[in-house]
Amino acid sequence: MNTLWVVVIAAIVIYLAYNYYAKRIDQDIIKSDVKKATPAKMYMDGVDFMPTSRNVLYGYHFKSIAAAGPIVGPITAANLWGWAPALAWLLIGVSLIGWVSDYSAIMVAVRNDGNSLSAISHKLIAPRTRSILFTFIFFYLLLVAGAFMGIMSALLAARPDVPFGIIMLGIMGALAGQMLYKWKMDLILVTAIVVVVTVAAMVFGPFGAVNAEGKLDFTQGPISSVVVGFNKAVDTVSGGNAVMVVTDPTNADPRVPAPDAEGKRPTTGVYNADTGEIKTLPSYLFWALFLLVFSYLAATLPIWRFAQPVNYIGFWVTLLTIGLSAIGAVLAPFIKPDIGAFALEAVKSQPWLPEAGKAWQPLWPMLFVTIACGSISGWHALIGSIGTARQLEYETDGLPVGGGAMFTENTLALLALVAVSIAGTGGGAGRFAAGVGSLLTVLFGDGFKLFGTALGFGAFMVIVLTVTQLIFRVMRVTLSEWAGEAMPVLKNMHVSTVTSMVLTILLVLTGTWVYLWQLFGAANQLMAALSLLIVTVWLREQKKNPSYALWPTLFMYITTLAATLVTARNLFVTIVPKGGSAAAGAWAMIIIALLLFVTALVIGWDGYQAYQRYSKTPMKKAAAAAD
Amino acid sequence: MKSSQTQTENKPSRWQAVREFLYGMFGMEIAEHAMEMRASLESIFMLGTVGDMLGVPVLPPYYSLRLLPYLVPHISTWKRRVLREREFSDEHDYHLDGL
Repeated sequence: MNTLWVVVIAAIVIYLAYNYYAKRIDQDIIKSDVKKATPAKMYMDGVDFMPTSRNVLYGYHFKSIAAAGPIVGPITAANLWGWAPALAWLLIGVSLIGWVSDYSAIMVAVRNDGNSLSAISHKLIAPRTRSILFTFIFFYLLLVAGAFMGIMSALLAARPDVPFGIIMLGIMGALAGQMLYKWKMDLILVTAIVVVVTVAAMVFGPFGAVNAEGKLDFTQGPISSVVVGFNKAVDTVSGGNAVMVVTDPTNADPRVPAPDAEGKRPTTGVYNADTGEIKTLPSYLFWALFLLVFSYLAATLPIWRFAQPVNYIGFWVTLLTIGLSAIGAVLAPFIKPDIGAFALEAVKSQPWLPEAGKAWQPLWPMLFVTIACGSISGWHALIGSIGTARQLEYETDGLPVGGGAMFTENTLALLALVAVSIAGTGGGAGRFAAGVGSLLTVLFGDGFKLFGTALGFGAFMVIVLTVTQLIFRVMRVTLSEWAGEAMPVLKNMHVSTVTSMVLTILLVLTGTWVYLWQLFGAANQLMAALSLLIVTVWLREQKKNPSYALWPTLFMYITTLAATLVTARNLFVTIVPKGGSAAAGAWAMIIIALLLFVTALVIGWDGYQAYQRYSKTPMKKAAAAAD
Repeated sequence: MKSSQTQTENKPSRWQAVREFLYGMFGMEIAEHAMEMRASLESIFMLGTVGDMLGVPVLPPYYSLRLLPYLVPHISTWKRRVLREREFSDEHDYHLDGL
C-alpha cells in the first residue's frame, strides 16, 4: 500500500457517494427546492440571517468543522487496530452516515425557520430533551477538554522544540487582534506578518539541535536547550521524582515510547517499561498550567482580543502543513517511493472477547468511537444548524455546503492516517509529526526532515490547542446556563471558567488518556446519533421516507452505547484495582460514562415515542401536535 | 423558474468561486464578528432612540420623532433581531469549531 492508492480509492469512493447517493437523497427525499425561501431570506437581519454565496459558505462551514477531531482520531485508531480498518471506517462512515448527519441537520434547520437542533428537539420530541442535551454537552466538553489537555501537556513536556512555537502563537494572536480590530490594518498584511512569524518559530524550534554524530540532541539547539534547562529546573522542585504515577493498559498515552524493532518499549525518564508506570513530573504540571492560562485568556477576554486571532493563525498553520503534506503524499510514489510506502501494519489484531483484568479494545464498537469527526460528528450538526443553516441563499446549496464540507473534512482525516501510516516510529502524535516531516522532504529535500517534523508537532499542537481554548469558552457558558440558576455564583464568568478548568485538570491528572478520548468519541458519536434521531423524527413527521437517516441512527446509537459500556468496563477492570488517585479518576470517568448512557437512553426513548406518534398521526395533526 | 435563472446568471467564474471559498475559510469569521459588534452597538442606539416601540421608553418622543426619518430603514431588521428568541449557542462568540 502507498499514498497514491489511498488518494485514488478515496477519490473514487467520495465521487460515487456524493454523486450517486447524496444527490439522490437531496432530490428524491428532501426535495430541496431552489424556489423556496430560506430563513436567510425570510428573516434577514444583516448579521445572523444573511443570504451568502454557496462557495463562501462551503469554505466557512469547512473551517468551522475541521481541526483536531479528524486528525487525533485516525492517529489513535491506526495505532490500536492498524491502518486498514481505520481507512475502511473513514470512507464507509462518511459515505453512508457522515454527510447524512451534516447535510440533514442543516436542511432540518432550514425547513424549521433556522432554529437550532436543540430548539427543534424541544418542539418535535419533548421539552426535556433540550435540558438533557445541555447536561450532555457539558460532560462531552469536559471529556474532550481532558483528552486534549492530557495530550498537549505530555507533548510540551516531552518535546523541547515545540513550546517556543506555541508561545509565539499566543503572542502573535494577541498582536493580530490588536492590529485587525484596533489599528484596523489590512487583513492580508496582518496575515503575512503573524503567520510567517508563527510558522518560522515552529520550524526553527529544533534549530541547531543536532550533535556531531548527526543525532537529535535538544541540549545543542539555542532554543530547545533553553526549554530543556527550564524543564530540568522545574523538575528539581520534587527532586526529579514523580508527583504522581499513572498507568495506561493500552499504551496510547503520548508519554509511552514506541516499541523498538523487537517490539519492546524502552524505559525512559517518565516511563518504566517493567511496571508500565508513567511518571507525572513537575514540568508536566507546569505545561498543563501554561495551557490553562492560555485557555483562560481565550475563555474570558473578548473573542476578538485573543481566541479568534489565535484560531485564525492556527488555521493557516494547519492548512499550510496539511496542504504541503498532501502535495508530498501525491508526489511521493513518483519522486520518493520509499517514503510513500506504508510502514504501519495493515491490521493489528485485538481480542474479540474480554480477558480478565485486561483492557478490551474490540474493533466493534471501539473503532467507531475512536475515529469520530473524520467519519461522522454530532458537533457538526449543532454548528450547522445554528450557523450555516441561517445563511443558505438557496435550499439547493445545502448539499454542496453541508455534505461537501464533510467529505472535504474526511480527506483531512485520510491525510492524518496517511501521515501516521508512512512513519515507521513514534507514538500517536510523534508518528503523525514524523509522517509530516517525511512528506515535506518530498518537496524540500532530506535536510528539511528535522524542521518538517517540528512543523508537524507544532501543527498538531496548534490544531488541538485552538479547539481546547474554545472548549473552555463554551464550557463556561454551558455551565452558567445549566447550573447558574441553582448556583448563581456560576454565572460569574471567572468562577465558571475556573470551575471548568479544575474539573478538567482533575480528569487529566487522574484519568487515562485513551479512555478520555474514547469516552469523548462515544459522547460525540452519541450526539451524532441524537441529531440523526431528530432528523429521523422530522422526516417521519413530514411523511417522508426516513430510512436514509433511520439506519445510521440505529447503528450509531447502538454502537456508541456499547462503546460507553466497554470503556466503563475497561476503567473498572484495569484502573480501579490499582487504587489511589488513578482509581478516583477512573471512578469519575465511569460515573460520567454511565451518566452519558442514561441521558442517551432517555433521549432515545423520547425519540422513539415521538417517532411512533408521528407514524400514527396524519401530517396536519402531527404538525398541530408538535405545536 | 425566475430564481433558478437568477442563480444560473449569478454563477461565479471558477476563479471567483475559489476566491469566495478562500474568503469563507479565512475572512468571513472576522467580517462576521465586526458586523456583530456593529449590530450590537446599533441595537443599543435603536433601543435608546425608538425603544418605546418595544415598550422601553428611553428618549423623549420629541427627539425620537426628529430622528425617525433616519431610523426607519433600520427598524424592521432591528426588530427582527431584537425580538427573536435566542439561546447562548446562537452567539458566534460561543461557537465551538473544529470537532
